[in-house]
Amino acid sequence: MMLSIKNIHANIDGKEILRGINLDIKAGEVHAIMGPNGSGKSTLASVLAGREEYEVTEGTVTFLNKNLLDLSIEDRAREGLFLAFQYPVEIPGVSTTNFIKAAVNEKRKYHGQEPLDALAFLKIMKEKMALVEIDQALLSRSINEGFSGGEKKRNEIFQMAMLEPKLAILDETDSGLDIDALRIVANGINKLRNENRAILLITHYQRLLDYIQPDYVHVLYNGRIVKSGSKDLALELEEKGYDFITDETEMTKSS
Amino acid sequence: MEKNTRSRIVAKGISAGKSQNSYRGLVRAAKGAINARNYSQCDSLLLGDKCGAHTFPYIEVKNKTAIVEHEATTSKIGEDQLFYCRQRGIDAEAAVALIVNGFAKEVMNQLPMEFAIEAQKLLAISMEGSVG
Repeated sequence: MMLSIKNIHANIDGKEILRGINLDIKAGEVHAIMGPNGSGKSTLASVLAGREEYEVTEGTVTFLNKNLLDLSIEDRAREGLFLAFQYPVEIPGVSTTNFIKAAVNEKRKYHGQEPLDALAFLKIMKEKMALVEIDQALLSRSINEGFSGGEKKRNEIFQMAMLEPKLAILDETDSGLDIDALRIVANGINKLRNENRAILLITHYQRLLDYIQPDYVHVLYNGRIVKSGSKDLALELEEKGYDFITDETEMTKSS
Repeated sequence: MEKNTRSRIVAKGISAGKSQNSYRGLVRAAKGAINARNYSQCDSLLLGDKCGAHTFPYIEVKNKTAIVEHEATTSKIGEDQLFYCRQRGIDAEAAVALIVNGFAKEVMNQLPMEFAIEAQKLLAISMEGSVG
């Protein structure tokens, strides 16, 4: 079991957002989490990544047999947890190339490997650039500065390709993308699927799942996973809207 | 006096701990400086919330065709930027070093190589322990 979330409760500023999340993810699986706004989707991603504004009040998370909640933000990353941000931040003066080189070498150091020299690094970069259809010019600019929505998301997937995570959490990677950008980003993600890697796709809309077929779909509502199913569940949601789930949940509560 | 002269000033200041940094610069366009142009940029980076930066630009223009511009920015390293770096496996101290170097790059790039390397090392040592 790569990731095991048991009864996680989390709050921010005293307000409880996650109200008992249970989820198991095995290597090679793609899980999609959908849900209406405010359901806690991004909170779940932030809590797994270790964002300090969130307080976990109950529950455990095991990642690769380690207690994830005990690890620092950077150690979670070095262990192989990657978060593709919904709103990637700009860092003026720091190129993507320098940024990702620092990240790759920190991970290697953590695992007792020698840092990559410039030549070796460049070789790997070229390989991954082709995978995600991203060009050198973009990577030499200050990271995310002046990037279009599509460029920012492609840059996130490029970084994912370079860091080769065990678990990739993609937080609304499809938001703000037009059809072409969505296709390129989805292609990149699909090329990074393998039996050793697990992907947690957080998405609001069904359409990303046309490109990236999930093994499981879970619906998050009011801080809990209220329904799980196959990719057909996403199609059902698209057709009926979130109301059919929330109504079902309300009915179950009152019965 | 020459016509159409140009000049550019780029000043990068970094404050940490409880320090106060000041930029004080004079740009003077004399009576005969026809069509002179100057652009001055003064950027301050604040590390932590107990330090400050101050800018004192002095501008003396004695020719009405001269154009003198001054721009000042103040920034700090955002929590979101730090989180982004840490989520990629770069710890807070290394992240600050990366960002500070990026901030000062425009100036460092103008220095001769050997000096630039020393300056970068000195910057790293000066910042040791300033990330709380």
